[in-house]
Amino acid sequence: MNIFRHLTAGLKELVTRDKTESELTEELNTYLQNAAEAKIRAGATPEEALRSARLELGGMETVKHEVRAVGWEFAIEVFVQDVRYGVRMLRKSPLFTAVAVMAIAIGIGANTAMFSLVDAILLRPLPYPEPQRLIIVGTKQRDGSGMSPMGTADFLAWRDHQQSFEQVAVLDGAGSSFALSGMGAPERIPGVGVSANFFSIFGVAPLRGRGFQPGEDRPGAPGVVVISEQFWRDHLDSDPEVLNRTLRLDGKLHTIVGVMPAGFRFPSRRPADVWAIHTLNSPTVRPPYGLLALGRLKPGVSVRNAVAELNDIAAQVTAQYPSSPDLVGVMMPMKEWMVSDVSTALLVLLGAIALVLLIAVVNVANLLLARATVRQREVAVRMALGASRKRVVRQLLTESAVLSLLGGIIGLLFAYIAVRTFLVFGPGQMPRLEEVGINSGVLLFTFVVCVGSGILFGLAPAFETSRPSLSDPLKDASRSSSAASAHRTHRALLVFEVALALLLMIGSGLLIRSFVRLSDVNPGVQTDHVITAAISLPNKYADPPQISQFWQQFLEKVQSLPGVKAAGITMSLPPNLLEITNPFTVEGQGYDRNRQLQLAEEMAVSPGYFRSLGIPLVKGRFFSPSDKVESDKDPMIVIINETMAKQYFGGKDPIGRRIQTGDPDPKSPWETIVGVVGDVKYSGLDSGPGPTLYVPYNENGWVMWSREMYLVVRSSGNVPGIVPAIRTQLASMDSTLPLAQIRTMDQLLDESLVQQRFRTWLVSGFAALALLLSAMGIYALISYSVSQRTREIGVRIALGAQRSNVLGMVIREGLQLLVFGLLLGLVGALSATRIMRSLLYSTSATDALSFVAPSLMLLAVALLACYIPARRATKVDPMVTLRYE
Amino acid sequence: MPDNNTALVQGTLDMLILKTLAVEPMHAYGIGLRIEQISQGVFQVNPGSLFPAFKRLERAGWVDSEWRATENNRRAKYYILTAVGRKQLKSETRDWKTQSIAIARILEA
Repeated sequence: MNIFRHLTAGLKELVTRDKTESELTEELNTYLQNAAEAKIRAGATPEEALRSARLELGGMETVKHEVRAVGWEFAIEVFVQDVRYGVRMLRKSPLFTAVAVMAIAIGIGANTAMFSLVDAILLRPLPYPEPQRLIIVGTKQRDGSGMSPMGTADFLAWRDHQQSFEQVAVLDGAGSSFALSGMGAPERIPGVGVSANFFSIFGVAPLRGRGFQPGEDRPGAPGVVVISEQFWRDHLDSDPEVLNRTLRLDGKLHTIVGVMPAGFRFPSRRPADVWAIHTLNSPTVRPPYGLLALGRLKPGVSVRNAVAELNDIAAQVTAQYPSSPDLVGVMMPMKEWMVSDVSTALLVLLGAIALVLLIAVVNVANLLLARATVRQREVAVRMALGASRKRVVRQLLTESAVLSLLGGIIGLLFAYIAVRTFLVFGPGQMPRLEEVGINSGVLLFTFVVCVGSGILFGLAPAFETSRPSLSDPLKDASRSSSAASAHRTHRALLVFEVALALLLMIGSGLLIRSFVRLSDVNPGVQTDHVITAAISLPNKYADPPQISQFWQQFLEKVQSLPGVKAAGITMSLPPNLLEITNPFTVEGQGYDRNRQLQLAEEMAVSPGYFRSLGIPLVKGRFFSPSDKVESDKDPMIVIINETMAKQYFGGKDPIGRRIQTGDPDPKSPWETIVGVVGDVKYSGLDSGPGPTLYVPYNENGWVMWSREMYLVVRSSGNVPGIVPAIRTQLASMDSTLPLAQIRTMDQLLDESLVQQRFRTWLVSGFAALALLLSAMGIYALISYSVSQRTREIGVRIALGAQRSNVLGMVIREGLQLLVFGLLLGLVGALSATRIMRSLLYSTSATDALSFVAPSLMLLAVALLACYIPARRATKVDPMVTLRYE
Repeated sequence: MPDNNTALVQGTLDMLILKTLAVEPMHAYGIGLRIEQISQGVFQVNPGSLFPAFKRLERAGWVDSEWRATENNRRAKYYILTAVGRKQLKSETRDWKTQSIAIARILEA
């Protein structure tokens, strides 16, 4: 009630300002007259009476001011006044304003852009109802780490017996695309096979039509598909009659039953365009482990209990398949699962850009400080006229807030452009990119950062300017005590700025060094003149002879093309397109189930594969087209890599020795080693050496897995020029098959580094900006200091100081600050770069070169920035300065 | 003395104004004069404190104001004690008395 009265009274007064003002004037006049009359009655002359009454009143305006100051509305009025005054002052020095606003705009723009990424990817909850209950589920070995996909046996047992989740569903972890044919040229579109209840777990309603219905994942059910909004727009022209149209996916007709809204692209790393049914058949063995399971927890059930339950079920499955490894459950909130691998990089980038802003803020503070000495006189006048220090500080802070808001508005524009550019040109393959944008949360962040930095860079200058030494600035003393103190603050800020810049430069040095090492990693293949593409045979290629015949004929056709030196197919490609790993047992090792599982990268390849990629033969032989492997009576053969030969066969010759693959089981068939080839990176350039197994693609047991293969062609001439000829050959075999993901080997290498390259460039850009800003900062400080000391320098020269002495003196001043700053930066970097450890490849977070080189570079640039004004100091003409005195 | 803007003095000034207005509505000069006279010159109320006090009291709802003609036919703003103001005066007076007795006791002890 009381607050309400204050509020309305204040508002009323704001509106009826003029009336209140004139009433107050009238009231004060009446008071004055009454007082004067009283004095006349006491015997004073009218003039005397009025004069002494006025004196008593103590200044009409002062009283009015104090009356006004009673209400809360006064604060707003003062604020508006201060803003007006601030804008006027800023317009008076346009150059200063432009420089400061741009520095802030760049800082805030970059921060806003980066924050909008962090906000969308890391902070915001997933755009599904009650997302915290969505859990991704997998398994791992009891002593293992990480999370592996589930096997069908495990999933089915879990689905049927678990009590913790409302529903559980699976995604086919292996297939992530479909061949789309019958709509122009055949192409591969991103998509995934899911169980029928997949959509109901998310709780997102389709834009049109429906999700899948129970029973649609039964074996033999008619093909149905749900499509993304983007696919509907791009491929079907947003046809309103889209439902019941059909798509030919992997050669099979699917009826479109629903369209998902634009925001739904799960799994979002490679946003799906179509969701088809993945049918689960009752398993006879436990592997392969290729299912991504997910579920919606029942309200109130903890992840811990759910994991315990899954562990019990997995133990029963292990008992059912005695030769299989001892698996336990792993669960991860869906959001964590989506973003965990990018979160460190994003946070480091956000931290780096925050440092840039801080440096920009320090620079603007230094600009303001330099101006503070100029403005000291203006402020002294205001204080002499009765303004309190609090009032002056408030005014100056308002001015800096105006400055930073201006910068913020321009910064928002920058941010918008930066985010757009990032979405178009940045590294794809980031989760949740479809949610990135500048929204109200981001705007709030920008506003807070704006006001915060305004206060931050305004605080020191405001206090310096308003230092209560009334007389000094009014006298024309150019070197007052308060100027000296402003200079001290100035220098402290500069030390801080140099330290921050060094911190950033060291961070970028580490990333650059790590990136160079990563780019230098030998992938194990000859990357030049190689083109690769994906080809995937649909289900109509149903039996082994059909499949191996297709590949054999196709490879013969490609090999006979002019310019082709070698051609082959493979299941996995370097540097990071590995499809499967498989446990193995070397003859004589025994079958202890509790032994830590030894996994090899395993892939089916054609004989020509090794020559196409230039993988060297170390021992034995490559596969040959004459190898007889297609019947289950044929002996199985295998080629291993050098690392495996070293790790598992010691110094002995592995040729002719035997291994088994799959879970340790004495009954598994034996495979004879026929060759040893050089190591190839299949799990990323940053992966360590590990065992690799190659098997013939047409071998019994593998041929059914050989429908999705990469074609690898080495040519003698123009590499992309060969593509149309290959495409013609493919179409002549089967016109529904797309030639997808066409890349040269060099491109594949390049693309595998895109995230590392992107963050290295970005941080280096930030570091360059920081270097530039701090060089500007030190240049400004030394110039200012020289201009303050012109007279002193003049006197020194007049008294016989050498130019070199003067030069040394000025540079020494800068050097002192630099050394302080560098030391501070080094100490800071030692502790701060530790958080980057997971981003670095074979580079220690305290790598000496990455610490020393940036320090020297910063020192050199900063000394140059000192040298220019120092040289100017040596040009001081003693006659001029002394005469000026 | 009322020039010192300490909280105690400010509060005291407000109470004195309320007390003055409890007799009859009055204008600013009259109030100042009355306080000075009754206190026999101990309190000389500075207009710089008086006018902000009026606004404060009005905002609090303890006094009201209206324009009236003065005894010598000048227009002046008269302040009037409201019912809430009267209650406030009572409680402030009571508190003041309790406090001053207590302080006196301490000083004499």
